[in-house]
Amino acid sequence: MNDTPQPRKLTLYVAGQTPKSIAAIANLKAIVAGPLAGQYEIEVIDLRQNPKLAKEHSIVAIPTLVRELPVPIRKVIGDLSDVEKVLVALKVQGE
Amino acid sequence: MNLDEVAELRRRLAEAEETLRAIRDGDVDALVVEQQNVSQVFDIGGGAEAYHVFMEAMHVGAAAIDGTGRILYANARLTSVLGFTQNSVQGSRFTDIAPEEVAAAVERIMPRAALGVASEEVGFDRLGEQVHYILTATPLRLSTTHGFAITFTDVSERVRAEAAEQSERAAHAVIASANEAVVVCDREGVITHANAAAELSFGGDLLGLPFADAIPLIFPDATGLLQAEDIVRMVVDGASVQGVEAHAPKAPKVKDYLVSAAPLQVGHDMINGCVITMVDLSQRKAAEKQQLLMMRELDHRVKNTLALVLSIASRTLHHEDTLEGFQQAFTGRIHALAATHSLLAENSWTNLTIGDVVRSELAPYTAGAAGRFTIQDLGKSLAPRAAIALGLVIHELATNATKYGSLSVPGGKLSVRGRAEEERFIVEWRESGGPPVTPPTHRGFGQTVITRSLQYTPSGGAEVDFAPEGLVCRISLPLEDLHE
Repeated sequence: MNDTPQPRKLTLYVAGQTPKSIAAIANLKAIVAGPLAGQYEIEVIDLRQNPKLAKEHSIVAIPTLVRELPVPIRKVIGDLSDVEKVLVALKVQGE
Repeated sequence: MNLDEVAELRRRLAEAEETLRAIRDGDVDALVVEQQNVSQVFDIGGGAEAYHVFMEAMHVGAAAIDGTGRILYANARLTSVLGFTQNSVQGSRFTDIAPEEVAAAVERIMPRAALGVASEEVGFDRLGEQVHYILTATPLRLSTTHGFAITFTDVSERVRAEAAEQSERAAHAVIASANEAVVVCDREGVITHANAAAELSFGGDLLGLPFADAIPLIFPDATGLLQAEDIVRMVVDGASVQGVEAHAPKAPKVKDYLVSAAPLQVGHDMINGCVITMVDLSQRKAAEKQQLLMMRELDHRVKNTLALVLSIASRTLHHEDTLEGFQQAFTGRIHALAATHSLLAENSWTNLTIGDVVRSELAPYTAGAAGRFTIQDLGKSLAPRAAIALGLVIHELATNATKYGSLSVPGGKLSVRGRAEEERFIVEWRESGGPPVTPPTHRGFGQTVITRSLQYTPSGGAEVDFAPEGLVCRISLPLEDLHE
């Protein structure tokens, strides 16, 4: 299963154009294009447009990044400016 | 409760703690609140919309950036100033999207702005046009984020006006500093600027006067077809006039000018008038006259010299028996002539003294013979014709002295002295210590040269006394060819 070439999905929950949302989107793009190149694709969900989607991952604070698979689910809260923290949070044991 | 359930509870607890920490630390700026099963998003510290609307209402280019320099929002005015679309700038930095100069200015201004308001002027090229803005950065707090508000105020017009004023001042300075007379006329030919040289040459204040009236010029080479007012009209129509000679009969001092005129164009606009420069030709005219005189004089002298050479050649031929004798005598006489000519040329045919001629002709014999020669009182200047004649006479006397006279033996001496007499000036040539002198049995050409060379005027001439103790020759120089 680990051999699958498909990139995994990272979901970023933002709230329109708040400063932290803008920073989180830009920082995540930089991480995915840099240290994690080719491993992830990004889905940005704007909860201001569609607040109901917050329920799916029980989002409380914005911005929040969610990695659903592989289990266990991982969340990183904030504007993702601390790259090390993001990389540690996304790291899966045995990977 | 099994182990999986415990692990899940632990994960949820950790997540709740992390959420609380993030809210407490200001890592987030919006929260999802669920009321009666409906989710709603609340911004911490007010929404972005409010400040976006406010920024769009501003009359200057404005951007909000976070503490790392990332653009949170840029108003439409700024995006058009910097030439990019609004969608592309959010989340970017100035280094990625703005002209190099602007990005560098933002980098410089941010550390200063952290301590308070900071500003800086920046100029950059926008679609081939140089524009100038003043950047002002002010510290700003947007909800939980610290950042800066940056405004861009357009000062291009002011900078352009300053540059135009400076170039106007420079143009004035250039006109004022020119040595030549320079006047500037408007399209109607009325003088709007005139430098000091122009006012000096044409007497007084020229401003406001029609060019043709203030400076009435006559163009002698144009046979009356060209008038002063025509020049202005031609130039305003786009032609230019280069180096036309003109005469200014009413000018107080200088009469002749070389006139040039060119259209006056300010920026890329139409022709606003014309710039006329007038170069003073009086010195050149005087030099041309002097040159013409000198050429006539030279022509005259060359003819005289050639006649003299012909005469010397035929007379020498007549008196010499052998070809060798002719060659020696003729060459010597031509050299004597050449020596005087060289002296005259070096002194521009003026200011040559009797002593100069005598010393030049005796030069071949005086080397290593110091003490045998005495030259005294020969400081008077003499005219070219007297110099040439005297040169020939001295040459003949010196040749004779080295062949038969005092310069032919080791102990012989020679003195040449000047003495003023009534109506004439005597140069006395006196030899001593040579072999006893006897008068020659026949009169050679040398003697003819000595006695006749200066007889071009009644007071000139020379007489030779063949005294046994040494030859004496009294050369009489005409007073009209002498001056102090």
